[in-house]
Amino acid sequence: MNPFTHVANWPWYYVGLYFYISSVSAGAYIIGSMAELYGGERQREIGRVAFSLALPLILAAPVLLIADLGRPERFWHLFFYSKDGIPYINLQSPMSVGAWGLTAYGGFALLSFLNIMAINGRLTFAPFAKLYNRLPRKTYAVIGMLTGLFVAGYPGVLLNVTAWPLWEATSPLLGSLFIASGASTGAAAIILVMARQKRVAGETYSHLEKVDRVSMIIELLIIGAVIVVAGQYAAPIMSGFYGVMFWGGTVFLGILFPLGLYWYAGRPGVDRNRLVMLTAVLVLFGGALLRISLMQAG
Amino acid sequence: MIMGSNMAECHPVAFRWPLKAKTDHGAVLMHVDPRFTRTSAMCDIHSPIRAGSDIAFLGGIINHVINSNRWNTDPFFKEFVVNYTNAATLINPDFKDTEDLKGVFSGLSEDGKSYSNATWSYQRHPAPTPPAAKVGPFTDLLLQRVPGRPKTDPTLKNPLTVFQILKRHYSRYTPEMVERVCGCPREMFLKVANTLLNNSGRDRTSNITYAVGWTQHTVGVQIIRTAGVLQSLLGNIGRPGGGVLALRGHATIQGSTDIATLYHSLPGYLNMPDARKVHDTLKDYILTEAVPISTSYWGNFPKFAVSYFKAQFGAAATEENDYGYNYHPKITGDHSHLPMMVDMTAGRIKGFFVMGQNPAVGGQNARFQRKALSKLDWMVVRDFFETETAAFWRNSPEIQSGELKVSDIKTEVFFLPAATVPEMEGTFTNTQRLIQQHEKAADPPDDARSDSWFTYHLGKHLQQLYGDSKMERDWAIKNLLWNFDPDPQEVANWHIKDEPSAYKILKEINGYTWADKKPLPTYANLKEDGSTACGAWIYTGVIPEEGKNNAARRQGDNWISPTWGFAWPSNRRIMYNRASADPAGKPWSEKKKLIYWDPKADSGIPDAAGNPIRGKWIAPSGEGIDFMPTKAPGSRGKDNGIGFDWLGGNDPFIMRPDGKAWLFAPFGLVDGPLPTHYEPYESPVENPIYKQQSNPVLKTWKVAGNPYHKVADPNYPIIVSTYRLTEHHLSGTMSRWLPWLAELMPELFCEISPELAAERGIKNAEYVTIQTARGEIQARALVTRRMRPFVINEKVIHEIGLPWHWGWQGRARGDVVNNLSALVADPNVSIHEGKVFTCNIRAGKRGGAA
Amino acid sequence: MAKGMFIDTSVCIGCKSCQVACKEWNVLEGEPTHFRQLPGAPYPIAVNFTGNSYDNTAALSATDWRHVFFIEEFSQDRSVARWFFSSDSCKHCNDAGCLNSCPTGAIIRTDMGNVFVQDDVCIGCKSCVPSCPFGVIALSPKTGTVHKCTLCNDRIHNGLGTACAKACPTGSILFGDVPELKAIADARLAKLKALGETKANIYGYDEAGGLNVFYLFLDRPMVYGQPEHPVVPQQRLPLSTAATVLGAAAIGVAALISFRERGSKKSEEEKK
Ligand SMILES: Nc1nc2c(c(=O)[nH]1)N[C@H]1C(S)=C(S)[C@@H](COP(=O)(O)OP(=O)(O)OC[C@H]3O[C@@H](n4cnc5c(=O)[nH]c(N)nc54)[C@H](O)[C@@H]3O)O[C@H]1N2
Ligand SMILES: Nc1nc2c(c(=O)[nH]1)N[C@H]1C(S)=C(S)[C@@H](COP(=O)(O)OP(=O)(O)OC[C@H]3O[C@@H](n4cnc5c(=O)[nH]c(N)nc54)[C@H](O)[C@@H]3O)O[C@H]1N2
Ligand code: SF4
Ligand code: SF4
Ligand code: SF4
Ligand code: SF4
Ligand code: SF4
Ligand SMILES: [Mo]
Repeated sequence: MNPFTHVANWPWYYVGLYFYISSVSAGAYIIGSMAELYGGERQREIGRVAFSLALPLILAAPVLLIADLGRPERFWHLFFYSKDGIPYINLQSPMSVGAWGLTAYGGFALLSFLNIMAINGRLTFAPFAKLYNRLPRKTYAVIGMLTGLFVAGYPGVLLNVTAWPLWEATSPLLGSLFIASGASTGAAAIILVMARQKRVAGETYSHLEKVDRVSMIIELLIIGAVIVVAGQYAAPIMSGFYGVMFWGGTVFLGILFPLGLYWYAGRPGVDRNRLVMLTAVLVLFGGALLRISLMQAG
Repeated sequence: MIMGSNMAECHPVAFRWPLKAKTDHGAVLMHVDPRFTRTSAMCDIHSPIRAGSDIAFLGGIINHVINSNRWNTDPFFKEFVVNYTNAATLINPDFKDTEDLKGVFSGLSEDGKSYSNATWSYQRHPAPTPPAAKVGPFTDLLLQRVPGRPKTDPTLKNPLTVFQILKRHYSRYTPEMVERVCGCPREMFLKVANTLLNNSGRDRTSNITYAVGWTQHTVGVQIIRTAGVLQSLLGNIGRPGGGVLALRGHATIQGSTDIATLYHSLPGYLNMPDARKVHDTLKDYILTEAVPISTSYWGNFPKFAVSYFKAQFGAAATEENDYGYNYHPKITGDHSHLPMMVDMTAGRIKGFFVMGQNPAVGGQNARFQRKALSKLDWMVVRDFFETETAAFWRNSPEIQSGELKVSDIKTEVFFLPAATVPEMEGTFTNTQRLIQQHEKAADPPDDARSDSWFTYHLGKHLQQLYGDSKMERDWAIKNLLWNFDPDPQEVANWHIKDEPSAYKILKEINGYTWADKKPLPTYANLKEDGSTACGAWIYTGVIPEEGKNNAARRQGDNWISPTWGFAWPSNRRIMYNRASADPAGKPWSEKKKLIYWDPKADSGIPDAAGNPIRGKWIAPSGEGIDFMPTKAPGSRGKDNGIGFDWLGGNDPFIMRPDGKAWLFAPFGLVDGPLPTHYEPYESPVENPIYKQQSNPVLKTWKVAGNPYHKVADPNYPIIVSTYRLTEHHLSGTMSRWLPWLAELMPELFCEISPELAAERGIKNAEYVTIQTARGEIQARALVTRRMRPFVINEKVIHEIGLPWHWGWQGRARGDVVNNLSALVADPNVSIHEGKVFTCNIRAGKRGGAA
Repeated sequence: MAKGMFIDTSVCIGCKSCQVACKEWNVLEGEPTHFRQLPGAPYPIAVNFTGNSYDNTAALSATDWRHVFFIEEFSQDRSVARWFFSSDSCKHCNDAGCLNSCPTGAIIRTDMGNVFVQDDVCIGCKSCVPSCPFGVIALSPKTGTVHKCTLCNDRIHNGLGTACAKACPTGSILFGDVPELKAIADARLAKLKALGETKANIYGYDEAGGLNVFYLFLDRPMVYGQPEHPVVPQQRLPLSTAATVLGAAAIGVAALISFRERGSKKSEEEKK
């Protein structure tokens, strides 16, 4: 125990989980936007899955966040200074900027979601559809993607600018780490949904797989860097319960093993579908453990 | 030097001043204590000492001082000692010292349980011819009995001088012996001794401060006397920055000895009428008590005594009925706390008022005391919370263990709510004898009432009940002067309208003229003819005139602050301050100036021709002068006078019948004229200095339920000492119920050295069990290097420490430490030996396997 | 003029009066975790014995705004024997990590320089908690908001000193204008150094951007339970943000590339 700093006492089941699902959502959204922007028509498939995932996931975020507050009924103080009711932002506070960023991202996730609904023909309210078709889809996908990157990354900054030794010592890498993890878990989430719909064959899937692999490799590199910069302060995740969670759960089960599985699944004669689901679940699981171990350890 | 007290922890506010002396003026602070405490932490030197070996340590310093080069070459010391102490006085040739009698003095009775002090007396010149005085009935009698002046040898060469006796007495208290007895490394001892010696002299003074680390011993009084002897030798008495300072305990514990809650004294330190002495009439009483001390200021004893009785019985007190003397209670034996509980156990005491006490926790051998309570018919407890004493009948450890059954206890317990200090008006007298007024800030809640309210109305009820009694024994109750009803404006702000007037009570204590009820400005105004009434002569002057309360003064300055409160006697802050000037009346040094003789000043008294007599003592600080203001230095006293008349101009110690500080006490102590190292009653070692193990005349009570340990008892090889913590107060009623304090020190713990812990397999923060023949308790272990083992007589002796604040009630709970201690006491003042006894300790909880 | 406190640990006697005075003035209850309801007892009983010297309250919390450290420095043979006491509270940092991190503006600095939590604004997000380099501010489960020493905001704005300083019997806690306190501290340090306290140092002039509540220690800050080199965490904000933006770009580009490459290949395939 560090004698100097107080633990934040952010419980993993609220804040850890929030960090996690928001980054899965954002990861998925980013990939969806990429597909939307650069993929061909068939890659739009990815976008559809991604956007239909991003919104529901991010909708859970405020629930978790507010549940964590000591005074949930005052959550609006995040946006308005309660003494005068004027909108409030504290640029030094990742929490404050994060609240606004999250709201913006939520807006874009909603737009994209509605877009999918419209495309899928589930949204039939005519005036809306008309209005909707006028929006510059690509533009907001770009901005939405940027807000997505923000949502995935800001928790890392938030942790890095505290005085809690592990978080302090891992500065300035947690933001990037969380984005890499977000991308990989986002991809995994899309893969999982597609696998359930038995749509994992073909190039659509290989794009996703590649994104996932690349981000996992980047994640690994950042983890290596984190351990190096943290030095002695990495101790809480180097051994003990959180050590097992981090190394066994995140690094091995969540990254190394899936990477292996991807490789194995790519070999001829292997039933991809089932392996792919397992891989995706492992990646998602590892991503969750990454947040939990980094938040709880120390 | 702080020794026998943990000043920083127990007197934190007062400790501000020594600390300030250290930080602002470079004073050296020393702490001599078995433990390293919060006081030790703030001191420059901490010297360890085995509990109960203080006389050896201080005796060692005396020996060191007497033989030191500095003391023998700096003329100051001899000048002080020859003039102001009884060093030069010759002692009865029949006197035999401990050196001659293997550790006891001459005069020990056949059964070895008491001393006759006949051989401890001074050699005296023949008695003077009594004057034909007509001063007052009792004073005239005293004048008939003035003894001859003591014989002296100012060269101090005569082997029968006090000085030579003292020197011989302490000659074996060498640094090696100190190390052997106290377990204090001799270099450390010498460092302490030399620091004291080198910081004493004309320009410098050293102070010694103590509290119950010295008193709670079977040699408690003698330890303090050793310090007195040492300070007298070093010229540190009666001078600013000097002295032997007692840190007193409870708030106004000083006040409660002054206004005598002690069984053997009347207010103002007059001895209690005693059925065992020649006290049959007022005259007998006065002669018995006053003759031996009449050549001191105590020569005024008759005035104090008569005025006291007048204050008790008012108009009913007349010359004819000896001012009611014979209706006043007399004691018949030792009625102090411990024997009282023994009497209670034996069924000799039926009822018990407990006001401001919690003996179920604070009493020695608390199990014994709790069981004693169960023998009462009734008990009244007045307190703020249901103390362990009030609750003993329903949930004491004895009830819980089944030893006592609730249904078998016939004691009827009345638990009454008491008011707290801010809820009443009154005064506190602190350790400096400073009387300070405190105001009432609020009415107490509900039925809570002050103790004075309770006592006053109880008295009124009794007077009513006995109002028509014809029995002579009820005379005192019927005639008790009991008139403290408040004036309406005194209670105007409060709901409680029948609170007795604190002002009227203080006025009675102060004294007033009987005829016109005018307060007396000084005790010099007291009379022995019944024309003055005075509750306690030493307090006279606190209300010098009607409506003026000196205790309420609040004007301080940077020196003596004479206008802050009122210090008895006569607002003197430093007693015996004549000694702050040299025999010629000049200050010993400019730096240490307090009072001095100005031969040219107008004394304010005209001579026969009406011209002013010149010469007077001056106190620039406004300090009260503890001497005859016009008695010139060097002047001779009247051989056949009493009081100030007898004393000479160089006799600063005006309450001593020879005006000198006593290195040797010819009387007044029941256990010897010179302090001598005796082992505590329960000790793991044999006395390394004398064959006599412990104080021969100490008090024990060999009754069922109070077994003692043998000397060096192998079953109880460990020394245990009990003490306080800053965080709690005494038995804990005033602290353990408060969450803020409870959480600071939640549970009883035992301080143990790592060495002992290793030996006994004890781990920090885990439970240990401590046992004596009286009881067994559990505590959490606090293993710390602040505790240390001692090497005594080449043997390793362990000492453990127990703060004793816990009980089974309140928010912070723990076993009662006093379940371990024994009823055993100092013979002079009957204080228990709670500071040192023997025990055993083991790991694990009470009741568990060994 | 900034008000602050100078804590001269060299004259602290560890009496904890300051701790109690703080609770009394600020009407703080006993720390709930220190008490437990035991069978048969009409009220909760203190159970927080630690065995760590005389320190049973252990840390600052939402109800313990002041805490006295007890440090026993003893060598095996006791030739070194020292017991240090140090009374700790919020430092009212010039650049306060807690204040910087607060997303609601609940934490403010008043005109007297003290850092003050407005209880009616705080939402209990706990962002400030790990942002204090000294482990001061803490959440109360009871109020759902954070609490810490206010520098006796109500007292000092009404012409009084702080309650803890008032209660301190030895002058170990001095309240006043920071420059004046610094002068006192400097003089005291010089005096102690001259007396041979070579390790004596003042903690809080430069640490974490300067503290309005600063300390005189006789040994390294570490010994007194204080971080040797505390840093205002927001100092890391620019770098951390930049690194994250870079990281985001890198990952974006990597993802993009993996899409494009394959994308173009596939579209070629499609063309076939
Ligand atoms: N906070 C607080 N303050 C108090 C009290 C309280 O309960 N709590 N009680 C008040 C009362 S009633 C009193 S009487 C005073 C008592 O005040 P103190 O006498 O100062 O207090 P104690 O803690 O009983 O004992 C003092 C020291 O004596 C040491 N000691 C034990 N045996 C010996 C010995 O043989 N020789 C020497 N040299 N030292 C020895 C102990 O280690 C301890 O450190 O405190 C008063 N002040
Ligand atoms: N082993 C061991 N035993 C000791 C000692 C030791 O050092 N070691 N020290 C001894 C000493 S020095 C002392 S002084 C005693 C103290 O022992 P006690 O006097 O028995 O203990 P206290 O806790 O002081 O009890 C005082 C009670 O008075 C109550 N009280 C306070 N103010 C008032 C008031 O105005 N009116 C009324 N009616 N009640 C009031 C308090 O709540 C408390 O319950 O203990 C002695 N016992
Ligand atoms: S409790 Fe009262 S008497 Fe004792 S030190 Fe504190 S202020 Fe002084
Ligand atoms: S010490 Fe901590 S709580 Fe106090 S002002 Fe500084 S950062 Fe805030
Ligand atoms: S817990 Fe309260 S004071 Fe702390 S950062 Fe959140 S809103 Fe601000
Ligand atoms: S300044 Fe006030 S609030 Fe802060 S610790 Fe001192 S008493 Fe408590
Ligand atoms: S009140 Fe003063 S002396 Fe006592 S612990 Fe606090 S700072 Fe130290
Ligand atoms: Mo006492």
